[in-house]
Order: sequence, then structure tokens, then C-alpha cells
Amino acid sequence: MEPAANDDAHLVQETLAGSQVSFQLLVERYETRLFALARHYTRSQVEVEDIVQDSFLKAYRRLASFDHRSSFYTWLYRITVNTILDSLKRKGRSPVTSVEDPELLAQPAPVEGFAPSGNLEREEVAEVTRKVLEELPEIFRTVLILRELEGLAYQEIADTLGISIGTVESRLFRARGRFKEKLLALFPEFGEH
Amino acid sequence: MSDCERIRPLVPGYLDGELSEEQASPLRKHLLDCRACRTATQGEKALRGWFVAGEVIAPPAGFAAHVARRAFAGDRGERAPADPVGDPRSQGAVLNFVLAATAAAAVLVLLLAGGIGGVGLPTEGGLRADDVAPVTEAEVLRNLERLNRDAVGEADLVRPDPGSGRE
Repeated sequence: MEPAANDDAHLVQETLAGSQVSFQLLVERYETRLFALARHYTRSQVEVEDIVQDSFLKAYRRLASFDHRSSFYTWLYRITVNTILDSLKRKGRSPVTSVEDPELLAQPAPVEGFAPSGNLEREEVAEVTRKVLEELPEIFRTVLILRELEGLAYQEIADTLGISIGTVESRLFRARGRFKEKLLALFPEFGEH
Repeated sequence: MSDCERIRPLVPGYLDGELSEEQASPLRKHLLDCRACRTATQGEKALRGWFVAGEVIAPPAGFAAHVARRAFAGDRGERAPADPVGDPRSQGAVLNFVLAATAAAAVLVLLLAGGIGGVGLPTEGGLRADDVAPVTEAEVLRNLERLNRDAVGEADLVRPDPGSGRE
């Protein structure tokens, strides 16, 4: 079946055939989402722009290898997540150490969560969440960002990270447990109600 | 395995909307009957209340056109991200680069100067740059005298004519 004139597959084909305008349309379609994704990892606007720009440039260079097995945007997400993690690693800001495999560590306590206090403004909650996420090992942070902040389905997360759905589920379970532990460690006052 | 043990692992997927109706239906029934599982589910749900995205950054105007231009110009997007201005590591790297470039340029200039200096020089061993006969003191004095005479003569030529009416 021929792709519709304006869908991703068609724009990819046109780009590969040499159409700069088609690639520009793809960038316009996903730039806002990628800016939001990168923003979860850094507060610097310049860094966000650099990361998104590099991600699109890498995507363009690898476009011929895009096999359409996953959607274009999960493929793009994958490139962007890798660009973000590379950037964090270069800056020495990744909390993951080479000797620690967070998935092998002790199982966190079951999540018996607590909602943020109604007294907190939305931006305050977002700031607390950002600080807690920053303290988590990268694989937990990323899976939480993709699921909870970007709203990706398990299959989309699996495609983005190149892991199975079972791994997504178990990683999410552990990540939520770690999130709660770190939240209480950093902000014990939120556990006192 | 009890119903609770069977149901609990499904709760996150249920809240994430990832269960089929076939899986979700018995879970809902169990939650109606089981207070402990209901509490655990509410806890899971409450934790999700923390996940609030912060302020978004909008792409600058013309971003897409700029990126597309760069892509088609062959930019590979693999440069190291710019370090923030003022980063001492970045300044050190720039300083090192400038020093290295200056040293290389100095060596190049010396080599070029040597090369240019060699062009046009006598190649026979017996020739020297000072092979011209030395000028004697008497010749220097004669030349000076001649110059003085010439200068006086020129001064006479440019002296105003008293009859011309011009001062």
C-alpha cells in the first residue's frame, strides 16, 4: 500500500530521494516532542537545542537504515535518548556507574505511594520530581520519563530502548519503587501525612 | 497462589492501561472484594501524581528549516556539545589550541623565511654578497659635495622672480 502523501513513511521516502522540504516537515512534526523529551534531562535551553539538533542530524544520516518495523517517532526517540545519554556521560552527569547494574540490586519495597500534597503548585511538584529523577540510575530515570512524562505505551518504550516488554514492566516496577525511596530520602516531609 | 498474589503484579499494567479486557475484568472484580489490594492499587495510583512535566521549552522560530539545511549540507551531528561559556576546561582547551597553532605558525614562518632567503643567492662557492669593491672616504666626500651643489642649484630655480608681482 502506498503511504499517504503526508505521513511519516512518505516524508521519509521523499527525504531519501533528496527532498529537503520533506525532511523539514518531519523536523517540524517532532521538534516539540523532542524538545520536551530533552528538557526532562537538562534545564539548559542551549543544551536542549543542541541535543535535538544533533538527534535530527543523526536521524537524517541514518535514514536509509530505518526499516519501518517501528514507528518513525519511536525510532527518532531512540536516537534522541541515546544522544541525551551520550551527552550526559560526556559531561559526567550520569548517576549510573559501570560497576552497578541497578536491575540486579535488591528489589525495592512494594510501592505504596502517596500523592503530592494539594498545597503544592504544579511547578513545585514538577521541580521535586525533576530532582528525584536526577538522582535515579539512568535506566530507571529514562523508563519513568518515557512512561510517566511522555506517556509512551510499553511497546513504544520497548521499541525505543530496544528491550522486551517484560523488561519494560520489570524495570518500571523497580523504577517506581526507587522513585518513592529517593523521594522520601530527599524530601522526608512528604511522607509525614 | 492466592488471588492477591496473582492480581498484584497486574496492577501497574492495569493503571497504565496495558491490560486486555480479559485480564482487567477479573482484576476489577478482585479489587471490589479485596480491601488490601484496593489500598495497594490506590497507593500505586497516588504515586503517579508526582509525575508532572515541568515548563516546556518551545523550539525557536526557523529551527526545522535550519536543521534541514544543515542536514543537507552534510552536517553529521556528532560534534561534542558546546561547553557552557566560562567552563575552565573549555577555556584551557582553547588556550592549548591557540598555543599549539601559534607555535606551528612560527615554525612555518621560519621555514618560509629560510626558503625565500635562499632564492637568488649566489650558488657558486667563491661568490660573496660583499664582493663589490669598498667605497672610499674620498668618494663619499665627493658625492656629498655634488649633492650640495645640486641642492643649491634647485633652490635658485624655485626662487620667486621679483618682477612677477608675486610674493
